[in-house]
Amino acid sequence: MFLGIDIGSSSTEAALISEDGKLLAVAVRNAGTGSRAYEEVVRDVLSEAGTTMDDVRYTVVTGYGRTLYKEADRQITEITCHAKGVRYLMGRVSTIVDIGGQDSKVIKLDEDGNVKNFLMNEKCAAGTGRFLEVMTRVLGCSLEDLSDMADRSTRFIPINNVCTVFAESEVISRLATGEAPEDVARGAHVAVAKRVMGMCSRVGYSPKVVMTGGVALNSNMVDALSQELGLPVEVPPHCQAVGAIGAAVAAMETYKKIMGEES
Amino acid sequence: MAEENALTSKQLLNELTAKHYEGALQAKAEGKPVAWATSICPDELLAAMDITTVYPENHAAAIGARKEAMKFIEQAEGDGYSSDICSYARVNMGYVDLKHADAQDIPMPDLIFSSTNICHTVLKWYENLAKKLHIPLILLDMPFNHTYEVSDNATKYIRGQLENAIRQLEDFTGHRMDYDKLAEKMDMNNATCEWWKKATDWGKVNPSPLNGFDMFNYMALIVCMRNSEDGHKLFKLWYEELKQKAEEGKGPWNSAEEKYRIIWDGIACWPHLSTTFKTLKKYGVNMVTSTYPSSWYKVYETNDLDGMARSYTGNYANRNLDFGEDLMSSLIKDFGVEGVLFHSNRSCKLMDFRCYEVQRRITDKMGIPSVIFDGDQTDPRVFSEAQYETRVQALVEMMEKNKELKRRGDLDV
Amino acid sequence: MYRDTIEKMAFNGLNPGKAIEETKASTGKDLVGVFPIRTPEEIVYAAGCVPVGMWGGRTELSLADRYLQSFCCSIMRTNLEYALRGVYNDVKAVIIPSFCDSMKCVIENWKLALPQIPTIALAYPQQRRLQAGLEFTVSEIKRVKHELELALHKIITNEQVEEAFSVYENYRKAMREFTTLAADHPDIITAKKRYLIMKAGSYMDKAVYTDMIREINEGLKEEAPSTFKGIRAIVTGIMVEPAEILDIFEENGIALVGDDLAIGSRLWRTPSRDEVEDVYLKMAYIIYDIEGDTFFFDPDKKKGSMLISMKDELKADCVIVMMIKFCDPEEYDYPIYKAELEEAGIPHLYLEVDEQMTGFEQHRTRIQSFSEMIL
Repeated sequence: MFLGIDIGSSSTEAALISEDGKLLAVAVRNAGTGSRAYEEVVRDVLSEAGTTMDDVRYTVVTGYGRTLYKEADRQITEITCHAKGVRYLMGRVSTIVDIGGQDSKVIKLDEDGNVKNFLMNEKCAAGTGRFLEVMTRVLGCSLEDLSDMADRSTRFIPINNVCTVFAESEVISRLATGEAPEDVARGAHVAVAKRVMGMCSRVGYSPKVVMTGGVALNSNMVDALSQELGLPVEVPPHCQAVGAIGAAVAAMETYKKIMGEES
Repeated sequence: MAEENALTSKQLLNELTAKHYEGALQAKAEGKPVAWATSICPDELLAAMDITTVYPENHAAAIGARKEAMKFIEQAEGDGYSSDICSYARVNMGYVDLKHADAQDIPMPDLIFSSTNICHTVLKWYENLAKKLHIPLILLDMPFNHTYEVSDNATKYIRGQLENAIRQLEDFTGHRMDYDKLAEKMDMNNATCEWWKKATDWGKVNPSPLNGFDMFNYMALIVCMRNSEDGHKLFKLWYEELKQKAEEGKGPWNSAEEKYRIIWDGIACWPHLSTTFKTLKKYGVNMVTSTYPSSWYKVYETNDLDGMARSYTGNYANRNLDFGEDLMSSLIKDFGVEGVLFHSNRSCKLMDFRCYEVQRRITDKMGIPSVIFDGDQTDPRVFSEAQYETRVQALVEMMEKNKELKRRGDLDV
Repeated sequence: MYRDTIEKMAFNGLNPGKAIEETKASTGKDLVGVFPIRTPEEIVYAAGCVPVGMWGGRTELSLADRYLQSFCCSIMRTNLEYALRGVYNDVKAVIIPSFCDSMKCVIENWKLALPQIPTIALAYPQQRRLQAGLEFTVSEIKRVKHELELALHKIITNEQVEEAFSVYENYRKAMREFTTLAADHPDIITAKKRYLIMKAGSYMDKAVYTDMIREINEGLKEEAPSTFKGIRAIVTGIMVEPAEILDIFEENGIALVGDDLAIGSRLWRTPSRDEVEDVYLKMAYIIYDIEGDTFFFDPDKKKGSMLISMKDELKADCVIVMMIKFCDPEEYDYPIYKAELEEAGIPHLYLEVDEQMTGFEQHRTRIQSFSEMIL
């Protein structure tokens, strides 16, 4: 069996793949770098698959906290892992958009699923999940509710500021002038989508476009991005755990390469 | 003729703007050469060679004012342009790709004409344009004047470039420069600039018949029509209107009184023009002048290329802090200015990175309050209405306090 | 042992303050601060002083906020911060060229921040290839010489300038040889060492520095051919800072086999003209002959094609762009050569940095992903 672990900034995932490449188990915890959630997710996937660490032939760790998990055989970046995970789950894909808590990335793949180019957001939080988090604070709702709220929007209100601090005050003043929270929520999604769209055009994008990461669970975000790109945006199963799944795939590939079993 | 006389200067302004762009598009359609040029450049040379000229900065401002900038900005950023560079440049590079704006279309250029007296940025921006479009570029490099006056060495260097530009234009058009025609253009330029200066000088009257935000609009034509009959007519008409208003004791607006007189330092926030204007007007604040009237006062002896060089390299943006302090101080004195609103314009590092010091100096020297707000000339994302209004309020409070002290005779101004 | 010299140089590159102290102590010469980039150091050297490069550094910025907003490039902000803190109180003069809008303003503010030390502003002509431009370059260099004479209260003779020019010619020649040899031995001259050795030159007497570079060059010539298996990269930008970035390059098997850095090869890759006699004209012709440099007018925008041919000549795998945030001129060049690199199928990594950054996790991920992509 092959184990993949993704230690992100705000969540941790693990995935287990069988000898013949079947996905056996996936686990997600909402605690990231700095916590010991990686121990929990490893325990979760092993128990779900009814197995122990002894059966794991090779482990790859990825994500921001990847240097924390010393027991791994190898550490690989989440860029490469997302590419592998998406290839495994979705077949041929040309563009991956991953909107994370701190970082957003756009990955361009070649026909064989290898990374051809990639781009990550600059320091600014405008195109990341962090921006949406700030918005939930202003709108007084949970991250889960934000998407539903935006779905009920009837009118488009642009949020123009790139700077999160400015955007926050812009949103507050919108609400103060009587704009509906639903419309503001939609505006926030569109604002993030626009920033991500900018990254997409910088690196170049084409169908099929897949969105990964926890923010992909937010259907309004997927819709906003799809509208900006003018293309359908698909979300893979286990979208939160794509990095971990990719890490497990990388573990399998690396192991087979070492053993001379490369297909 | 009678009909034309009936036009107000504002109507004429709109008419001439339309004529300027239509003329350029028409020229292009007829296969005539079109140049893109920077906003304070010796375009007398282009006019004398019958080259139709449009000004990307004017165009970007128009796009910004129509709230259309984001489309072009996003396009340029997609090509790899950093969001930290000048938004006029981003709008323009985006336009080169997209080639259509609802606000206004302009013909693609056959020649690039760039003058660095306004900033170093246009050197890089126009270099990129020429490379991208595979067209010739004429550069007039006007080094920043770190000494108070323009040096003789710099004058000689710029004169050499003016002569070179004439040679490049002769190569480009295939015909010789007609120096009589150039002299005519220089004459006309000088005359128009005088009317521009005389018109904007009406801001000195109290209350000012001049509404500074109108000046932002007229600026577009002092950029592009200094050497034309039309421009000459416009600024003369504007002068006469202001004169009449002043004589009738009329202030800047019909619906409100001028209570405070300020300098707005820097370019307008085009995408938020109406917000920035209305907020000021709400408090009775009128922008009576800025550093711009002198920036386009390009007067020199006709046929004197050294004078032309000195004049073009001598605008405010290209001058040292001591000069800036003196210019600001004399504006404050001559126009009865009570406060300064500095636009920390994310696009314009050349203005921004001096404004803190200019602010300190005029506070010390002239004893008037000032505030700085964050904004941008065309990128709508770098402006916060809440911040702007708070800063304006603060300025008004300080100006009011000064007025009070003055009434009590404590302040000697 | 030349390997010790490498270590010594790398130490100097990493510790400018100590390197400068040592330079002052060992040469007994006065120091003159020179801003980036391409200040006519020969004039300073001719005056019997050591020109010291002012490339900022990592520190907390607070005093500089008196003059500059946060969206000014970190090199300029840091220099101003240091000035206000008294770090430069020891230098006899400071020379600042104006290559961008930020520098124009910094010169103006600098005069106030450091009023007791003469500030010499310098404007190279962008139209350097016109006769009027060439003459202007000469007049600017001569003006700097004169202002320096006033600041130092001493006459700088033409013979001294000629001697200094020849010291600098030797230095430039040694550096061209060094970069060529370094490209053949990326396992010895690793990314970090290469960069720090180049940087050390900013803080040392060029005659002393050149001797040490020559020693390294001779040592490298004796080495067996390299068996380096990692990634061979070309780096472009002003500098590669902070130094942690270089560690991350090394962790990921990346060597810098060629550079287009303002603190590196851009300083020495343009040879001087033998046929020109007058030393000031010789200096002006170097400015005249510069190609593909971000800070000199280049209507053909040759940087992209130069990076591509450098990549071929040095058998490099990729290009790394070190973008110091808020550097307008570098930011304008990027979209143009980006398109050309993409067209040529050359992978490139764009890293936006500033001197004050302390968190490197995102950059670590980018660099590691990039190396995973190439290998």
